[in-house]
Amino acid sequence: MTLTHRAIARPSVTANDVSAPLADDVVRRAQQGDVDAFAVLYRAHAPAVHALARRMLGSDGAAREMVQDIFVRAWERLGSFRGESAFGTWLHRVGVNVILNQLRVARRDVHRFTEDEPDDGAAIAGPPDGGVEARIDLDAAIAKLPAGARTVFVLYDIEGYAHDEIAQMLGLAPGTVRAHLWRARRLLMRYLDA
Amino acid sequence: MTASRTRFDAHLTEEERHGLADDSLPPDRRADAESHMAECAECTGDVARLHALMTRVQQLPEGSAELDALWPEIRSRIERGKIAALGTEPAVRRSRSQWRLAGIVAGVAAALLVAFLLGRESRPRADDVVASGNGRTPVASVADSSRVYQEEVQSLLEEFELRRATMRPATTATVERDLRIIDGAIEELNDALARDPDNPALRQLLAASYRQKRDLLKQVDNAS
Repeated sequence: MTLTHRAIARPSVTANDVSAPLADDVVRRAQQGDVDAFAVLYRAHAPAVHALARRMLGSDGAAREMVQDIFVRAWERLGSFRGESAFGTWLHRVGVNVILNQLRVARRDVHRFTEDEPDDGAAIAGPPDGGVEARIDLDAAIAKLPAGARTVFVLYDIEGYAHDEIAQMLGLAPGTVRAHLWRARRLLMRYLDA
Repeated sequence: MTASRTRFDAHLTEEERHGLADDSLPPDRRADAESHMAECAECTGDVARLHALMTRVQQLPEGSAELDALWPEIRSRIERGKIAALGTEPAVRRSRSQWRLAGIVAGVAAALLVAFLLGRESRPRADDVVASGNGRTPVASVADSSRVYQEEVQSLLEEFELRRATMRPATTATVERDLRIIDGAIEELNDALARDPDNPALRQLLAASYRQKRDLLKQVDNAS
Protein backbone atom coordinates (compact mmCIF):
# COMPACT_ATOMS: atom_id res chain seq x y z
CA MET A 1 0.00 0.00 0.00
CA THR A 2 1.25 3.41 -0.83
CA LEU A 3 0.39 6.10 1.62
CA THR A 4 0.04 9.58 0.38
CA HIS A 5 1.89 11.67 2.89
CA ARG A 6 0.32 14.99 3.69
CA ALA A 7 2.40 17.82 2.38
CA ILE A 8 4.67 19.25 5.04
CA ALA A 9 5.37 22.83 4.11
CA ARG A 10 8.84 22.99 5.53
CA PRO A 11 9.94 26.61 5.77
CA SER A 12 13.46 25.45 5.07
CA VAL A 13 12.49 24.53 1.56
CA THR A 14 10.80 27.74 0.56
CA ALA A 15 11.64 30.61 2.88
CA ASN A 16 14.86 31.44 1.16
CA ASP A 17 13.45 31.20 -2.31
CA VAL A 18 10.93 33.99 -1.93
CA SER A 19 12.72 36.46 -4.14
CA ALA A 20 13.07 33.94 -6.90
CA PRO A 21 14.67 36.10 -9.60
CA LEU A 22 17.39 37.25 -7.21
CA ALA A 23 17.93 33.73 -5.93
CA ASP A 24 18.07 32.40 -9.48
CA ASP A 25 20.75 34.91 -10.32
CA VAL A 26 22.82 33.96 -7.29
CA VAL A 27 22.51 30.27 -8.13
CA ARG A 28 23.50 30.95 -11.73
CA ARG A 29 26.57 32.88 -10.64
CA ALA A 30 27.53 30.10 -8.27
CA GLN A 31 27.13 27.58 -11.06
CA GLN A 32 29.57 29.65 -13.11
CA GLY A 33 32.18 29.25 -10.37
CA ASP A 34 31.51 32.35 -8.27
CA VAL A 35 32.37 31.28 -4.72
CA ASP A 36 31.09 34.57 -3.28
CA ALA A 37 27.66 33.83 -4.76
CA PHE A 38 27.83 30.38 -3.20
CA ALA A 39 28.58 32.06 0.14
CA VAL A 40 25.26 33.89 -0.20
CA LEU A 41 23.50 30.56 -0.72
CA TYR A 42 25.35 29.14 2.27
CA ARG A 43 24.20 31.92 4.56
CA ALA A 44 20.61 31.52 3.38
CA HIS A 45 20.39 27.76 3.67
CA ALA A 46 22.94 26.64 6.26
CA PRO A 47 20.58 26.83 9.28
CA ALA A 48 18.04 24.53 7.63
CA VAL A 49 20.73 22.13 6.49
CA HIS A 50 22.21 22.13 9.98
CA ALA A 51 18.80 21.39 11.52
CA LEU A 52 18.36 18.47 9.12
CA ALA A 53 21.81 17.08 9.95
CA ARG A 54 21.43 17.56 13.69
CA ARG A 55 18.13 15.73 13.75
CA MET A 56 19.33 12.88 11.59
CA LEU A 57 22.62 12.46 13.43
CA GLY A 58 21.49 13.35 16.93
CA SER A 59 24.53 15.50 17.65
CA ASP A 60 25.34 19.14 17.09
CA GLY A 61 29.06 18.52 16.64
CA ALA A 62 28.53 15.83 14.02
CA ALA A 63 25.94 18.04 12.35
CA ARG A 64 28.39 20.93 12.00
CA GLU A 65 30.92 18.67 10.32
CA MET A 66 28.17 17.33 8.11
CA VAL A 67 27.09 20.83 7.09
CA GLN A 68 30.58 21.35 5.66
CA ASP A 69 30.45 18.07 3.75
CA ILE A 70 27.00 18.84 2.42
CA PHE A 71 27.92 22.29 1.10
CA VAL A 72 31.16 21.06 -0.45
CA ARG A 73 29.17 18.28 -2.13
CA ALA A 74 26.52 20.75 -3.23
CA TRP A 75 29.24 22.93 -4.78
CA GLU A 76 30.60 19.94 -6.67
CA ARG A 77 27.14 19.05 -7.93
CA LEU A 78 25.85 22.55 -8.66
CA GLY A 79 25.95 21.78 -12.35
CA SER A 80 23.25 19.15 -11.88
CA PHE A 81 20.80 21.71 -10.46
CA ARG A 82 18.44 22.52 -13.34
CA GLY A 83 16.03 24.76 -11.50
CA GLU A 84 13.23 22.22 -11.72
CA SER A 85 12.67 22.65 -7.98
CA ALA A 86 13.54 25.38 -5.52
CA PHE A 87 17.25 25.49 -4.74
CA GLY A 88 16.47 24.77 -1.07
CA THR A 89 14.62 21.60 -2.04
CA TRP A 90 17.49 20.43 -4.20
CA LEU A 91 19.99 21.24 -1.47
CA HIS A 92 17.93 19.33 1.09
CA ARG A 93 17.98 16.30 -1.13
CA VAL A 94 21.75 16.57 -1.55
CA GLY A 95 21.99 16.87 2.23
CA VAL A 96 19.91 13.77 2.87
CA ASN A 97 22.00 11.78 0.40
CA VAL A 98 25.29 12.92 1.94
CA ILE A 99 24.07 12.11 5.43
CA LEU A 100 22.79 8.67 4.47
CA ASN A 101 26.06 7.89 2.70
CA GLN A 102 28.04 8.97 5.73
CA LEU A 103 25.87 6.85 7.99
CA ARG A 104 26.50 3.86 5.79
CA VAL A 105 30.23 4.50 5.71
CA ALA A 106 30.29 4.91 9.47
CA ARG A 107 28.57 1.57 9.75
CA ARG A 108 25.83 3.15 11.76
CA ASP A 109 23.54 0.83 9.92
CA VAL A 110 20.07 2.27 9.69
CA HIS A 111 18.78 -1.21 8.92
CA ARG A 112 19.58 -2.59 12.35
CA PHE A 113 16.15 -2.02 13.71
CA THR A 114 16.06 -5.00 16.02
CA GLU A 115 19.58 -4.53 17.38
CA ASP A 116 19.16 -0.85 17.80
CA GLU A 117 17.71 -0.72 21.26
CA PRO A 118 16.89 2.69 22.57
CA ASP A 119 18.27 4.28 25.64
CA ASP A 120 15.69 3.63 28.27
CA GLY A 121 16.53 6.78 30.16
CA ALA A 122 14.30 9.18 31.96
CA ALA A 123 11.51 10.92 30.15
CA ILE A 124 12.31 14.29 28.66
CA ALA A 125 9.26 16.20 29.63
CA GLY A 126 8.50 19.61 28.19
CA PRO A 127 5.85 22.21 28.76
CA PRO A 128 2.65 21.15 27.01
CA ASP A 129 2.12 24.53 25.37
CA GLY A 130 4.49 23.79 22.48
CA GLY A 131 6.75 26.72 23.38
CA VAL A 132 10.46 27.09 22.67
CA GLU A 133 11.48 24.93 25.61
CA ALA A 134 9.16 22.16 24.47
CA ARG A 135 10.62 22.26 20.99
CA ILE A 136 14.14 22.05 22.35
CA ASP A 137 13.06 19.10 24.46
CA LEU A 138 11.55 17.45 21.42
CA ASP A 139 14.85 17.86 19.57
CA ALA A 140 16.65 16.30 22.54
CA ALA A 141 14.19 13.41 22.50
CA ILE A 142 14.69 12.90 18.77
CA ALA A 143 18.43 12.77 19.37
CA LYS A 144 17.86 9.91 21.81
CA LEU A 145 16.09 7.74 19.26
CA PRO A 146 17.87 4.69 17.87
CA ALA A 147 19.55 5.57 14.57
CA GLY A 148 17.22 3.59 12.34
CA ALA A 149 14.03 4.88 13.90
CA ARG A 150 15.40 8.43 14.04
CA THR A 151 16.36 8.42 10.37
CA VAL A 152 12.94 7.30 9.24
CA PHE A 153 11.16 9.63 11.67
CA VAL A 154 13.11 12.68 10.49
CA LEU A 155 12.67 11.84 6.83
CA TYR A 156 8.92 11.17 7.15
CA ASP A 157 7.58 13.37 9.90
CA ILE A 158 9.95 16.32 9.59
CA GLU A 159 11.20 16.34 6.02
CA GLY A 160 7.99 15.07 4.44
CA TYR A 161 9.34 12.23 2.31
CA ALA A 162 6.87 9.49 1.42
CA HIS A 163 7.20 5.95 2.74
CA ASP A 164 8.15 4.63 -0.68
CA GLU A 165 10.84 7.26 -1.18
CA ILE A 166 12.34 6.48 2.20
CA ALA A 167 12.19 2.78 1.49
CA GLN A 168 14.09 3.37 -1.73
CA MET A 169 16.68 5.63 -0.10
CA LEU A 170 17.37 3.20 2.71
CA GLY A 171 16.97 -0.02 0.76
CA LEU A 172 14.20 -1.17 3.07
CA ALA A 173 10.75 -2.63 2.51
CA PRO A 174 7.99 -0.02 2.92
CA GLY A 175 6.56 -2.08 5.76
CA THR A 176 9.87 -1.90 7.60
CA VAL A 177 9.92 1.85 7.13
CA ARG A 178 6.48 2.09 8.75
CA ALA A 179 7.62 -0.10 11.61
CA HIS A 180 10.60 2.24 12.21
CA LEU A 181 8.30 5.23 12.12
CA TRP A 182 5.74 3.85 14.52
CA ARG A 183 8.45 2.79 16.90
CA ALA A 184 10.07 6.22 16.78
CA ARG A 185 6.77 7.92 17.60
CA ARG A 186 6.07 5.56 20.48
CA LEU A 187 9.52 6.09 21.89
CA LEU A 188 9.19 9.86 21.58
CA MET A 189 5.88 9.74 23.44
CA ARG A 190 7.57 7.79 26.15
CA TYR A 191 10.60 10.11 26.30
CA LEU A 192 8.41 13.18 26.40
CA ASP A 193 5.91 11.58 28.71
CA ALA A 194 3.35 12.95 26.36
CA MET B 1 0.12 -4.81 7.68
CA THR B 2 -3.17 -3.53 6.35
CA ALA B 3 -5.43 -6.02 8.11
CA SER B 4 -8.76 -4.40 8.67
CA ARG B 5 -10.74 -5.01 11.78
CA THR B 6 -13.17 -7.86 11.32
CA ARG B 7 -15.14 -7.05 14.43
CA PHE B 8 -16.51 -3.66 15.17
CA ASP B 9 -15.38 -3.82 18.75
CA ALA B 10 -11.77 -4.77 17.93
CA HIS B 11 -9.30 -2.01 18.77
CA LEU B 12 -7.63 0.03 16.06
CA THR B 13 -4.50 -1.42 14.56
CA GLU B 14 -1.20 0.42 14.97
CA GLU B 15 -1.39 1.43 11.31
CA GLU B 16 -4.85 2.90 11.77
CA ARG B 17 -3.84 4.83 14.86
CA HIS B 18 -0.82 6.40 13.17
CA GLY B 19 -2.75 6.93 9.97
CA LEU B 20 -5.46 8.83 11.81
CA ALA B 21 -2.91 10.86 13.74
CA ASP B 22 -0.96 12.01 10.71
CA ASP B 23 -3.94 12.04 8.36
CA SER B 24 -2.53 9.43 6.01
CA LEU B 25 -5.22 6.80 6.50
CA PRO B 26 -7.07 6.22 3.21
CA PRO B 27 -10.64 7.59 3.24
CA ASP B 28 -12.21 4.18 2.71
CA ARG B 29 -10.75 2.98 6.00
CA ARG B 30 -11.15 6.21 7.90
CA ALA B 31 -14.94 5.98 8.38
CA ASP B 32 -14.72 2.55 9.96
CA ALA B 33 -11.87 3.64 12.24
CA GLU B 34 -13.67 6.78 13.30
CA SER B 35 -16.79 4.81 14.08
CA HIS B 36 -14.77 2.67 16.41
CA MET B 37 -13.16 5.67 18.06
CA ALA B 38 -16.56 7.15 18.78
CA GLU B 39 -17.13 4.31 21.21
CA CYS B 40 -13.58 3.50 22.38
CA ALA B 41 -11.93 5.90 24.81
CA GLU B 42 -8.69 3.93 24.78
CA CYS B 43 -8.13 4.21 21.03
CA THR B 44 -9.39 7.80 20.98
CA GLY B 45 -6.94 8.78 23.71
CA ASP B 46 -4.05 7.06 21.99
CA VAL B 47 -4.75 8.70 18.63
CA ALA B 48 -5.05 12.07 20.38
CA ARG B 49 -1.64 11.61 22.01
CA LEU B 50 -0.09 10.67 18.69
CA HIS B 51 -1.75 13.66 17.06
CA ALA B 52 -0.38 15.95 19.77
CA LEU B 53 3.08 14.62 19.01
CA MET B 54 2.57 15.33 15.29
CA THR B 55 1.55 18.87 16.15
CA ARG B 56 4.68 19.40 18.21
CA VAL B 57 6.85 17.97 15.45
CA GLN B 58 5.38 20.37 12.92
CA GLN B 59 6.26 23.26 15.20
CA LEU B 60 9.93 22.34 15.30
CA PRO B 61 12.10 25.32 14.44
CA GLU B 62 13.67 25.45 11.03
CA GLY B 63 17.10 25.99 12.46
CA SER B 64 18.80 29.11 13.71
CA ALA B 65 22.28 27.99 14.67
CA GLU B 66 25.10 30.48 14.15
CA LEU B 67 27.06 28.85 11.35
CA ASP B 68 29.15 31.64 9.84
CA ALA B 69 32.22 30.18 11.49
CA LEU B 70 31.97 27.11 9.27
CA TRP B 71 32.17 29.02 6.00
CA PRO B 72 35.92 29.67 5.85
CA GLU B 73 36.67 25.95 6.04
CA ILE B 74 34.03 25.19 3.41
CA ARG B 75 35.47 27.87 1.16
CA SER B 76 38.95 26.53 1.68
CA ARG B 77 37.84 23.01 0.74
CA ILE B 78 36.11 24.35 -2.37
CA GLU B 79 39.24 26.25 -3.42
CA ARG B 80 41.44 23.23 -2.80
CA GLY B 81 39.03 21.10 -4.80
CA LYS B 82 39.18 23.48 -7.74
CA ILE B 83 42.95 23.37 -7.81
CA ALA B 84 43.01 19.60 -7.36
CA ALA B 85 40.57 19.28 -10.22
CA LEU B 86 42.95 21.23 -12.40
CA GLY B 87 45.77 18.88 -11.50
CA THR B 88 43.94 15.57 -11.69
CA GLU B 89 40.82 15.87 -13.82
CA PRO B 90 42.34 16.53 -17.07
CA ALA B 91 43.45 13.31 -18.39
CA VAL B 92 41.36 14.44 -21.30
CA ARG B 93 42.01 18.15 -21.02
CA ARG B 94 45.72 17.72 -20.45
CA SER B 95 46.20 15.40 -23.36
CA ARG B 96 44.19 17.76 -25.54
CA SER B 97 46.38 20.60 -24.34
CA GLN B 98 49.52 18.60 -25.03
CA TRP B 99 48.31 17.91 -28.53
CA ARG B 100 47.76 21.62 -29.03
CA LEU B 101 51.24 22.37 -27.73
CA ALA B 102 52.74 19.69 -29.91
CA GLY B 103 50.86 21.24 -32.78
CA ILE B 104 52.40 24.61 -32.05
CA VAL B 105 55.91 23.20 -31.92
CA ALA B 106 55.38 21.29 -35.13
CA GLY B 107 53.78 24.36 -36.63
CA VAL B 108 56.74 26.49 -35.71
CA ALA B 109 59.14 24.06 -37.34
CA ALA B 110 57.04 23.88 -40.48
CA ALA B 111 56.51 27.62 -40.53
CA LEU B 112 60.22 28.32 -40.32
CA LEU B 113 60.66 26.28 -43.46
CA VAL B 114 57.60 27.51 -45.30
CA ALA B 115 58.07 31.11 -44.24
CA PHE B 116 61.43 31.32 -45.90
CA LEU B 117 60.03 29.83 -49.08
CA LEU B 118 56.77 31.75 -49.26
CA GLY B 119 57.06 34.57 -46.78
CA ARG B 120 58.47 37.13 -49.10
CA GLU B 121 55.83 36.36 -51.72
CA SER B 122 52.99 36.77 -49.27
CA ARG B 123 54.43 39.96 -47.79
CA PRO B 124 52.33 42.97 -48.81
CA ARG B 125 53.67 45.21 -51.43
CA ALA B 126 53.90 48.94 -50.98
CA ASP B 127 50.85 49.31 -53.24
CA ASP B 128 48.77 47.15 -50.92
CA VAL B 129 49.66 49.32 -47.97
CA VAL B 130 48.65 52.46 -49.77
CA ALA B 131 45.43 50.80 -50.94
CA SER B 132 44.48 49.92 -47.38
CA GLY B 133 44.06 53.60 -46.65
CA ASN B 134 44.89 53.44 -42.98
CA GLY B 135 48.60 53.22 -43.23
CA ARG B 136 48.66 49.98 -41.24
CA THR B 137 49.97 46.84 -42.85
CA PRO B 138 48.61 43.36 -42.00
CA VAL B 139 52.00 42.63 -40.46
CA ALA B 140 51.57 45.56 -38.11
CA SER B 141 48.08 44.33 -37.14
CA VAL B 142 49.37 40.92 -36.24
CA ALA B 143 52.18 42.52 -34.27
CA ASP B 144 49.56 44.48 -32.35
CA SER B 145 47.75 41.23 -31.54
CA SER B 146 50.96 39.81 -30.16
CA ARG B 147 51.44 42.90 -28.00
CA VAL B 148 47.89 42.64 -26.63
CA TYR B 149 48.37 38.97 -25.83
CA GLN B 150 51.75 39.74 -24.27
CA GLU B 151 50.22 42.29 -21.94
CA GLU B 152 47.50 39.88 -20.89
CA VAL B 153 50.05 37.14 -20.41
CA GLN B 154 52.15 39.36 -18.18
CA SER B 155 49.21 40.17 -15.96
CA LEU B 156 48.15 36.52 -15.77
CA LEU B 157 51.71 35.46 -14.98
CA GLU B 158 51.70 37.81 -12.00
CA GLU B 159 48.43 36.23 -10.82
CA PHE B 160 49.93 32.82 -11.31
CA GLU B 161 52.92 33.73 -9.15
CA LEU B 162 50.61 34.96 -6.40
CA ARG B 163 48.60 31.74 -6.45
CA ARG B 164 51.50 29.38 -6.82
CA ALA B 165 51.75 28.91 -3.05
CA THR B 166 48.19 27.62 -2.82
CA MET B 167 48.49 25.22 -5.74
CA ARG B 168 49.41 21.58 -5.53
CA PRO B 169 53.02 20.97 -6.58
CA ALA B 170 51.91 18.53 -9.29
CA THR B 171 49.60 21.14 -10.75
CA THR B 172 52.28 23.80 -10.68
CA ALA B 173 54.71 21.44 -12.38
CA THR B 174 52.22 20.68 -15.14
CA VAL B 175 51.52 24.33 -15.77
CA GLU B 176 55.22 25.22 -15.78
CA ARG B 177 56.03 22.41 -18.19
CA ASP B 178 53.35 23.60 -20.60
CA LEU B 179 54.58 27.18 -20.27
CA ARG B 180 58.13 26.08 -21.07
CA ILE B 181 56.95 24.40 -24.27
CA ILE B 182 55.09 27.51 -25.38
CA ASP B 183 57.98 29.78 -24.40
CA GLY B 184 60.30 27.60 -26.45
CA ALA B 185 58.08 28.09 -29.49
CA ILE B 186 57.92 31.83 -28.86
CA GLU B 187 61.69 32.03 -28.59
CA GLU B 188 62.19 30.19 -31.87
CA LEU B 189 59.68 32.42 -33.60
CA ASN B 190 61.32 35.56 -32.26
CA ASP B 191 64.69 34.33 -33.52
CA ALA B 192 63.20 33.70 -36.94
CA LEU B 193 61.52 37.09 -36.94
CA ALA B 194 64.79 38.76 -36.04
CA ARG B 195 66.10 37.41 -39.29
CA ASP B 196 62.96 38.09 -41.28
CA PRO B 197 60.99 40.80 -39.42
CA ASP B 198 58.30 41.34 -42.04
CA ASN B 199 57.31 37.73 -42.50
CA PRO B 200 53.49 37.62 -41.85
CA ALA B 201 53.34 33.86 -41.36
CA LEU B 202 55.88 34.04 -38.54
CA ARG B 203 54.08 36.95 -36.91
CA GLN B 204 50.77 35.09 -37.04
CA LEU B 205 52.39 32.08 -35.46
CA LEU B 206 53.91 34.27 -32.77
CA ALA B 207 50.51 35.79 -32.02
CA ALA B 208 48.98 32.31 -31.89
CA SER B 209 51.69 31.22 -29.43
CA TYR B 210 51.01 34.15 -27.14
CA ARG B 211 47.31 33.44 -27.36
CA GLN B 212 47.99 29.84 -26.39
CA LYS B 213 50.01 31.02 -23.41
CA ARG B 214 47.26 33.41 -22.38
CA ASP B 215 44.61 30.68 -22.64
CA LEU B 216 46.65 28.33 -20.49
CA LEU B 217 47.13 30.97 -17.79
CA LYS B 218 43.46 31.90 -17.92
CA GLN B 219 42.58 28.27 -17.41
CA VAL B 220 44.75 28.25 -14.27
CA ASP B 221 43.28 31.56 -13.12
CA ASN B 222 39.70 30.36 -13.55
CA ALA B 223 40.35 27.11 -11.77
CA SER B 224 41.90 28.79 -8.77
